[in-house]
Amino acid sequence: MGLTNTDIQSAQGVEQTDGNIITTTIDKVINWGRKNSLWPMPFGTACCAIEMMATLASKFDLSRFGSEAIRFSPRQSDLLIVSGRISIKMMPVLKRIYDQMPDPKWVISMGACASCGGVFDTYTLIQGVDQFIPVDVYIPGCPPRPEDLIDAVLQVQEKIASGASPKGVEHLLET
Amino acid sequence: MNEEKEVEVQPKPLVLQKLEEHHADALLSQDETRGTLVIVVRKEQAYAVLEYLKTDPELAYTFLVDVTAVDNSQMESELMQFDYARFMVVYQLYSYQGQCRLRVKVPVHENDLSIPSVAGLWRGANWLERETYDMFGINFDGHPDLRRILMPDDFDGHPLRKDYPLRGRGERESFNFDKQNV
Repeated sequence: MGLTNTDIQSAQGVEQTDGNIITTTIDKVINWGRKNSLWPMPFGTACCAIEMMATLASKFDLSRFGSEAIRFSPRQSDLLIVSGRISIKMMPVLKRIYDQMPDPKWVISMGACASCGGVFDTYTLIQGVDQFIPVDVYIPGCPPRPEDLIDAVLQVQEKIASGASPKGVEHLLET
Repeated sequence: MNEEKEVEVQPKPLVLQKLEEHHADALLSQDETRGTLVIVVRKEQAYAVLEYLKTDPELAYTFLVDVTAVDNSQMESELMQFDYARFMVVYQLYSYQGQCRLRVKVPVHENDLSIPSVAGLWRGANWLERETYDMFGINFDGHPDLRRILMPDDFDGHPLRKDYPLRGRGERESFNFDKQNV
């Protein structure tokens, strides 16, 4: 079936007994599938988007981690990458796109501007998108290098594999 | 070494000669800044002067490079010069024919923020005047579609005015997503 021993060993909570029998739980298998096929929705508004494009292109090649299927439709994606400045005119658009993504969904806030407004402490710039949409992983940098974005995707993968909920639904589970 | 240095007399630019001939009463001042001729024109005659600059076959300032404004409310020296007019609307012109630039400035008082639109002369003025309206609140009379261009439609105030706080008045924190129509 194409599953190698490495695949099985790298999946948390999956055990291989002798022969071709593996035992696990359904959650573990689903999470394992999710983490290895994150489909990003790019929301690039500034120079961070250039680094994001470089991450997706052949030199850094995000497809090595299963996330090369960039969807420009929020309905088909589960990882929102906010890369760049978000103005007060753009925030409702971003919020709408986030709302359109099906659950479960994760959000990466890429770079200083998306995370805290960066150097643009002005009347028109959102000082951190996490005021309005839940963010799972923040990337520092101005702009961050492609390696940083890859690291963030891997952190999202770790989060999924560990069974943790996306930031967006945490509040639902508390009660 | 005592030879008297001959002062080179610069010929008066053609545009100034012609303006003094045809619109002498409109000119408030003329100056040169870093190689660009700058003239200040009375608001009442601003449209006539701009039209003349564009349509005169010898001048032919057919390219409107930029329209913007300056808020001089915190520049006492500038304010004093032109009868305490708070705003200065700036037109940047270029003549392909004469290959020269001209900056036309028009003082605008705060109690009467209207100025004739030049969108009928240069079509490119449409968006430039909308931006100036958005940022400074200058009203361009006769503009075909004077509404905000950069800020959201429901934005309150004109952010490039000097009395507008840099960090805004809370617009960047307060959002009602239900009301937004995107």
